[in-house]
Amino acid sequence: MRSLALLSLSFVSLPALVSPAAAQAVVGQKAPAFTATDTAGRTRSLSEFQGKVVVLEWWNPQCPFVGKHYGSGNMQRLQKEWTGKGVVWLTVDSSAPGQQGHVDAAQANALMRERGASPTALLLDPDGTVGRAYGARTTPHMFVIDTAGTLVYAGGIDDKPSTDREDVATAHNYVAAALTEVTSGRKVSTATSRPYGCGVKYKS
Amino acid sequence: MAALSVALAGMAAAARAQPTPPHTKVSLLAETDAVRPGRPLHLAVRLQMEPGWHTYWRNPGDAGLPTRVRWTLPSGFEAGEVRWPYPQRFTQGPVGSYGYAREVLLLDEVRVPASPVNHEVRIGAHVDWLECQEACLPGKTDVSLVLPVRAAAGPGPDAAAFAEARGRLPVSDPAWRFGAATAAGDVVLTVTPPPGTTVSDASFFPVRPRLLDHGKPQRLERTAGGFRLLLPRDPNGTLAQHLDGVLVAQSGGRTRALEVDVALAR
Repeated sequence: MRSLALLSLSFVSLPALVSPAAAQAVVGQKAPAFTATDTAGRTRSLSEFQGKVVVLEWWNPQCPFVGKHYGSGNMQRLQKEWTGKGVVWLTVDSSAPGQQGHVDAAQANALMRERGASPTALLLDPDGTVGRAYGARTTPHMFVIDTAGTLVYAGGIDDKPSTDREDVATAHNYVAAALTEVTSGRKVSTATSRPYGCGVKYKS
Repeated sequence: MAALSVALAGMAAAARAQPTPPHTKVSLLAETDAVRPGRPLHLAVRLQMEPGWHTYWRNPGDAGLPTRVRWTLPSGFEAGEVRWPYPQRFTQGPVGSYGYAREVLLLDEVRVPASPVNHEVRIGAHVDWLECQEACLPGKTDVSLVLPVRAAAGPGPDAAAFAEARGRLPVSDPAWRFGAATAAGDVVLTVTPPPGTTVSDASFFPVRPRLLDHGKPQRLERTAGGFRLLLPRDPNGTLAQHLDGVLVAQSGGRTRALEVDVALAR
């Protein structure tokens, strides 16, 4: 009898049905820390830019969606305008070695020069560590971090998922809107949108 | 220096318009050899991809673009919505997409007027797609066919392909019961198959692009009445009132594709 009573008192405690805390960036939460080498050979970290607004732009020079935004001058205009206003703009290449879009520092610098791109730095992330920390899925995939280190925007660059350059002029640019709001102390009104592009070419 | 030039050339090439990507052949097929007045005309846009290349489903998932068909039809003819055979999932690391390898027929039914004006009709389709392997290339083409208008029609040369493609369309089957609710970071799809149906494996393809994390694996758990699928949510996505999409289930050596459209309980 006693052993039965003991059995009836015992129970299996189920682990909380929470998805594992995948190091993924979630809008409204602290942006994940990262460290990566830039194309000047310097180690850069998110902490270095504490107190600044930071943009992360996932990039693959051979992707036609990236080609749409660079061929039209759209990305370069954004980079120039916003770095001019004190925003830190980091372009990130998470293509694994042997995968499309994987470039070394010299190639990356030459491509940026040819395109007139002016990010604060281009980070080489061949292991995909930074990409996975942010859940970067497409090129381009855009993230905006406010001065307190909170992720305030994650998603597509604009609202026209296509490879057509003509769409740039008539699209609503989510990143420009988010940066305008966050730099004037306002809440970002569209904090997420559908990212579109080629898949980031992680090690498969 | 040589490597530099190659990289620059590669990027320049990607930026130039690609007139005819060579990796997908697109053709327009009719199920019958003629158009019958007042009877539906069954058409298909067939995409044949080279090995290793794929094109995308109506929801491409994380990356890619769905194939788009715009019809040019004679006066009085009207096309319905494209019907998509069930897709497969492609993953690369955490990135998941939905689409087709080798070949797919996108089916469409055209309403034909009772008194078409001509004895012969020309049907055109402008097709845009994205084909990916390692690289992704946008494609577009115009395809057309000409059919006689006749009181009677027999099967066309590609009729068998239509039957096969129809077998791959998701079906709405009330014998399968579904329920959906959110639980922590997942959407849980509860499935009660018809009695006597054992499902050995299943996966769910959402129609909405921003509900689920397309790259994370879906976990299957058995229940008394069937099973449930734990579908990881996109943490930066949007919740919806409904869970709609396609359940692809393996049962008795067959693949079943079921249409799902249920209220999503919070």
